[in-house]
Formats: sequence, structure tokens, C-alpha cells
Amino acid sequence: MEVDEVVLFLGRHAPFDALSADVISALARRVEVRYFPREAMIIDADKENHALGIVRSGAVELRLGGTELNHRLGEGGVFGYPSLLHHERTRNQVIAHEDSLIYQLPKTDFLKLLDDHEALSGFFAKDEAERLRLAVEGLRQSGQSHGEAAMIAVKLGSLMRRNEVVTASPGDSIREAAKLMTRADVSTLPLTDQGRLLGIITDKDLRRRVLGQDVPLDEPVSRVMTQDPITMSLEDDLLSAMLIMSQHNIHHLPIVNDTDEIVGVISSSDLLNRFGMNALQVVAEIEAAGDAAAVASAARRVDAVLAHLIESGVDADHVARFVSNIGEATHRQLLKLGEQQLGPPPVPYALVVFGSLARQEQAGGSDQDNGFILDDGYDEQAHGAYFERLATFLCDGLNSAGYIYCPGNIMATNDKWRQPLAVWKERYRDWIDRPDPENVLNTTIFFDMRCVAGKEELVDSLREQIFAWSSANRIFLSFIARAAAHTKVPLGFFRNFLLQHDEKEGDVLDLKHQAIAPVVDIARVYALALGLSEVNSEERLKKAAELDELSEEAVSDIVDSFEFIRSVRFRHQSEQIRQGTAPTNNLSPALLSRFEREHLKDAFRVIRDHMDIVSRKYAGNIQ
Amino acid sequence: MKLGWQNWFQEKRFAAQWERAKEAARSTPMADYYDALVPTDQHLEDAPLIALDFESDGLEENAQLLEAGWVAVEGCAVKLSSARRLRIRAESKLQGSAVVIHRITDDAAAEGQSEQDVLLALLADLKGTAIIAHAAFIEQSFLNAACLRCFGVPFVGRFICTMQLEDRWFPKDRAADGLRLGKLRAQYGLPYYRAHDGLTDALACAELFLAQCARRQTENLLVEDVLMRA
Repeated sequence: MEVDEVVLFLGRHAPFDALSADVISALARRVEVRYFPREAMIIDADKENHALGIVRSGAVELRLGGTELNHRLGEGGVFGYPSLLHHERTRNQVIAHEDSLIYQLPKTDFLKLLDDHEALSGFFAKDEAERLRLAVEGLRQSGQSHGEAAMIAVKLGSLMRRNEVVTASPGDSIREAAKLMTRADVSTLPLTDQGRLLGIITDKDLRRRVLGQDVPLDEPVSRVMTQDPITMSLEDDLLSAMLIMSQHNIHHLPIVNDTDEIVGVISSSDLLNRFGMNALQVVAEIEAAGDAAAVASAARRVDAVLAHLIESGVDADHVARFVSNIGEATHRQLLKLGEQQLGPPPVPYALVVFGSLARQEQAGGSDQDNGFILDDGYDEQAHGAYFERLATFLCDGLNSAGYIYCPGNIMATNDKWRQPLAVWKERYRDWIDRPDPENVLNTTIFFDMRCVAGKEELVDSLREQIFAWSSANRIFLSFIARAAAHTKVPLGFFRNFLLQHDEKEGDVLDLKHQAIAPVVDIARVYALALGLSEVNSEERLKKAAELDELSEEAVSDIVDSFEFIRSVRFRHQSEQIRQGTAPTNNLSPALLSRFEREHLKDAFRVIRDHMDIVSRKYAGNIQ
Repeated sequence: MKLGWQNWFQEKRFAAQWERAKEAARSTPMADYYDALVPTDQHLEDAPLIALDFESDGLEENAQLLEAGWVAVEGCAVKLSSARRLRIRAESKLQGSAVVIHRITDDAAAEGQSEQDVLLALLADLKGTAIIAHAAFIEQSFLNAACLRCFGVPFVGRFICTMQLEDRWFPKDRAADGLRLGKLRAQYGLPYYRAHDGLTDALACAELFLAQCARRQTENLLVEDVLMRA
């Protein structure tokens, strides 16, 4: 006899989901169920604790003794274990945040469970930050091994195109063989006798061994073929194939099945297309593009690059930098082509980008955010038309390249964002000196800026000025900090999802706005408060730690969370790309694995805590 | 809380019924059950309580009982270690509609124990407790009928009805089905349970009772404060 509902529930939630049905069933019978109305104390600080708590429904808040720091746990959340594990008195208060039904597992049962099932001890590692670090580490490792696995474990069979192999007989004339290769549009021709591979001939052989040596075309092809070529089997893996090719400097490998019949030919470009460093290739192609259309067609391969990098197990930070590099190259090349078409600029100027590209944190499906900072020698009458046309060339080109027009019209084509340095400074000064909540939310993006082309000094000069003003203006900082704390990290999201309310079915998790933006905001607050010139969020946080504004540990917690969330986003984007749909930031929670869900929860908690810290630190003196 | 004269009268009548049944139970298998009675002035936290639910093929008193599920509530906690669910062997063919509701088929019901064995196990756990049920008069009449059937002895016991308690403690205008177990649970933020076996419903009822007591926000509730009233 089982307490079905309890067994089902435990079986759905980590870490109990890792246990066998029998163990869960026995565990369920040890549970005591209690109900706590909102605001009721579930566990008080500095007390003996007798039981592990599991949120069955509702939500609880963990309050760290003596601070305002808190974690919220929704359905399936587990609490109260540090004191049990370490036989200490409780350090946190646990309060019912909503009316909550709580399962309690008595201490002795909990400790026995841990003894019996080592797999659970990882889950109960000391706190969420630590759990998250373990998860990122695990992800990185599995990512790497997945990447290597991609190389090692991918069988050549899976790369083969399935159409029939074109073959000829060694007795055929060279002319016949060459004609067949032309007709079939192949560069390699295996020569077989009753299915058995005897030799191979390639385009290069025809050039070097036939034309170059004046061999008559009526001669049998066997005279010039490579005899008994190296072959590989369908079961061989990709990495061995690449090794063989590079060792013997050959570009084609015949693939045979277990009865030695030829089933296909794999070329080095087949392998490179799939596993080469095509991020660099794309950048090189963009830089070689002769017109905007060529830039666009190269830049549009960014999706394929992204999917490939993810598949190869590259971490989110590097993926974002590759993707950003492609974005930057696109901007630079378009501007170069525009200047070629319109002539050299009449006064110096800088192309400045804002937001994720400025931070080198770009993902798939980004829009454009840019402006021109013009030298103060700019004269509207004389130079206005030039820059307007250049801006149009750039923004149209970006749009065709997949960086769609900015919905908020933050583009150099907008007069507002195509101004001399002095006007830009005036505008920032206005934002900083007269902040209002509405303003602040709309202007934060402008505080992440980077020069991608043109006269860098213009951007540097603006930035120095901004930081001098911002770090001295506590009121402005408090507004920025408030805006940062404004975002709702979707802690309750998973609870709603797990309840599977039918009316919520259309709900999606917006990772960009709900989880990534808060980290970016936190990093920006530190950058503005400390006058940091770094733009990348991770670099900003690390710099803040160097200046002792943040602990190293806090930075590594945030950075781990950031990395984890972005890796989830990238992996889902790569999935979307593979399925032929445009990458988005919206995830259907149904697509999240349990692993992702659990650790996203941890990451959200870490982020929320740090939002609270930033808000207390800088948003305090607003009234 | 002071009992009104009606409750005083009810308690008198209960005492008389209890004594009569106790007398009738002498030298029957039910004698042991009548050895202990939970005092009405006991603190609810200290009182042993059992949430009980029967599955049956109908609601009439002579309905065939299919399953009994129960779980103990002690110190404001549901103790799942005490949870029991016993199938009762069918004596007659099932009637159609209830079978659909409870998804108990003839085959599944046939696996059960005899009604008498199930009752004995249940009575052993019910001894000295108050019984929590949703629409407890039904469980009351089922128990009474079954005990008469098996042992020729009436069943007398203290009942707590979560349906009545809701109406008494939190009176308001409600829809016709506003006092149903599922509806009330949802109002207390309690999870939705898909299953409707005896044990799940007993657990559901026990949890509702805890929620009601918590919302009542009264210190030191006594057993008499929550008992079902006539």
C-alpha cells in the first residue's frame, strides 16, 4: 500500500527523483504533513531542528539570521538540511510566504537516507551557491566530453550522404572516368571490381598524373589511380578520420562496409563543414565581402556557428564572444563598404554600439542598437547628409544581415543618436542629473557602450565623462540600483509551472529579461558606482571584486549563475536553429530538463540575493 | 469555549448511546474498541485523531463498502506512517455509477479482505480517537451499518466533520457545491489530488482539517470545539 499522492510528488522532485520506487515508497511513509498559514514560523533560528522540510504546496522564505537576505522556495523546495547535516542549531528562519503544506522528514530518517544513498549527498551540499557551482562544473565537464564525444563518438556512418556512390571500373578509360566525374559532379571516383574497392582517382590526380604527365586519355584509369587506398569503415569515428587525413595529407576517404563494399566517400571539407572553426571562417568571409549582400549572406551564418559551438561543448561565455565578434565584424565591414561608396567621412566619427553587443554578450536573434558619435567639428549643413546616408547604409545592411531594426529606434538613422560628442555628453548629463524612474529604465542600455569602428577617442571621452558624473551622483546611482531591483526574477515560475494550471499553458520563461538582464543590471550598477571602464558584465564584476566592493565569492556565484543561465539559453537556441526556427529567448518550460529547472532555480536565487544586496547598498538614500 | 445547552444535551445523549453500545459490545470483537473514549476537554494538539474515508458503491446506509482508507493526525501533523488502505471484498455485484467515480472494478474489489477483517483493523486504530471525515455523517452511518452487519453492535464514536466545520467557522454564501472537499482544499491552497481512493481522500481531509484549524487562529482548541454537532 502506498500513499500515492506523496509518492508521486517525491518522485517528481529532486533529489528524491533519483531514488528507486521502493525507497520513495518507504520514504513517503516516514513523512509528516503540516500546514502553515502565511507568515507562520516553520523553523526558528538558533533552535534544534528535528526535520527536513519539503514544500508540498505554497512557498516558504528562508531568512538568514540578522539580515534581510532571503531565499524563497516554491513547490518541491527543500529546506532545513544544513542544521541536520552538521548537527548544529538552525541559522535561518523559515517562514511561510504563502499558506503552505509542508512535508517533514524526521532527522533520523533523513540522515539514514543520506547514509544509504550517496547520490543524494551532492544535492545537499551546503547551500545553493555551492550546488550551482557543482552544476556548472558538471555541465562544463559533460559539455566538454559531449564536445569530444561529438568528435570521438560520431561514427562516419552518421555523416554519410545516403545517395548511391558513383563508381567506375579500373578498366575504364581515363576519358570515360573523367566524363563520369563531370556528369555526377564528384571530385573523387572509387574504382571497383564487383563491388570490391581497387583504387581511387581524384580531380587532383587527373591534373597531376594525367594532364601534367601527358598520359593519353584512352589509357585505362587503373594506370593513374591510387591503388589500394586507405579506407575506413562506417563504424570508425570522426576524429580518427581527421587524423588519417592530416597524417597522409589526403582529402578523401573511401568508406567501406563490413563486407568491404564501398558505400561512400568522405571529404575533408565534409568534416570541416561540420566541425571546423567556422566562427573564424564567418568573420573572415564577412571581412572579405565586397558588398552589403555578401556581408549579409556571411553574417546570416551566425546561427549555424552558434549551434555548432554549442554542440562542440564550448561554454556560454565563449559562444557569446564568438557571436559578438561576428556581429562586430558585420558592423565594421558595412561601415567600410559604406565609406567606399560615399567617400571618406568629412569629420571624424565613431560607430558606437549599445547593449549586448557592447558587452560582448550577444546571443542569437539580436536586434541592432547603435549610434554615431560625431566629432565636435561637425556641421549639420555641410556634413548632415553624408552621415545620414552612411547610417542608412549601415542600418539597412544590418537588417538584411539578420540584425533587425531596433524596435526602440536606437539606431544611427535616428537624428537623436547621430550627434556631435558635445550633444551626447549633454544628453547623458541630463539622464544622470535629473533621473526619474521612467527615464532610468529606458536609458540603462546606453551605459553599456563600445566603439566598434571609427575614432575610438570619441567614445572614450564620452565614457570618462559619464563615469565621472555617475560615480559622484548617489541619487542617480540609487535610481539605477532601483531599476536593477525592479526586475522580477521568476522564482515562483517553476511552482506555477509544476502546478500545470491549464490556463498557464501558454506561459514561457523569458530568460533574457527575467534572468540575464538582472545580472547585467547588477554589473552595471557596480560599473557606474565605481567608474569602471569595463563593459562586459563578467569583467565588470571581477573588477568590482578587485576594488573590494564585492567578495570574490559573490562574483563567482553571480558569474556561475550567469554562465548557467546563458548556457541554457544557448542550448535551447541551438535546438531551435537545428529545427530550422529562429532562435528566441523564450523557453517553454516543458522543454527544460529537470536538471536545468533545478539549477535555474538555484541561479535565480543567487541573482535575487544579489539584487537585494545592490538595492540595499545603492538604492537606500533615495528618499 | 463554553458549550451551549444544546451541546450539553448532545453530550448527555452521546454518553447514553456510548454506554448502551459498550454494553452490547461485551464479549464481541468490538468490546476492545469501547474500552477508550477521547475526552471532549482534551487539547486538540494532544488528542489522537484519525481521518477516515470509505469508498462504497452508493451512499445509502446499506451500500456495499469497497475500501477503507485512514491516517492518523497527531500534534497537528498527519502521520503517514499510520496510513492504511484496505480493500473490502465485494459481496454483491457493484452498481454502475460509483464504480466509474472511484475506478474500482469488480476485479480489483475482489482482491480485498472480508468486511469483518477490515473493520477489526480499523476499529483497533479508531479506539480512543476522534474521527475526521468530510461529510462525516456518511462515514458515521457506514460504520454503524457495517458494525451491526458484522458484529450486531452499533458504532458510536466522536466525529469531526470538516464540511460542517467550514460552514460553522467561516460562514458565508456559497455555491451549491461550495463545500466540496476539492473546492475547499483549493481555497486553502492545498494541492489538487487526482486520485479518489479511500486513503487519498482521508489524507486530503486530514490536510484540510489542519488548514482549517490554522486559519481559525484560536489558541488551545479543545476536542469539543471541533466535534460534529447535531
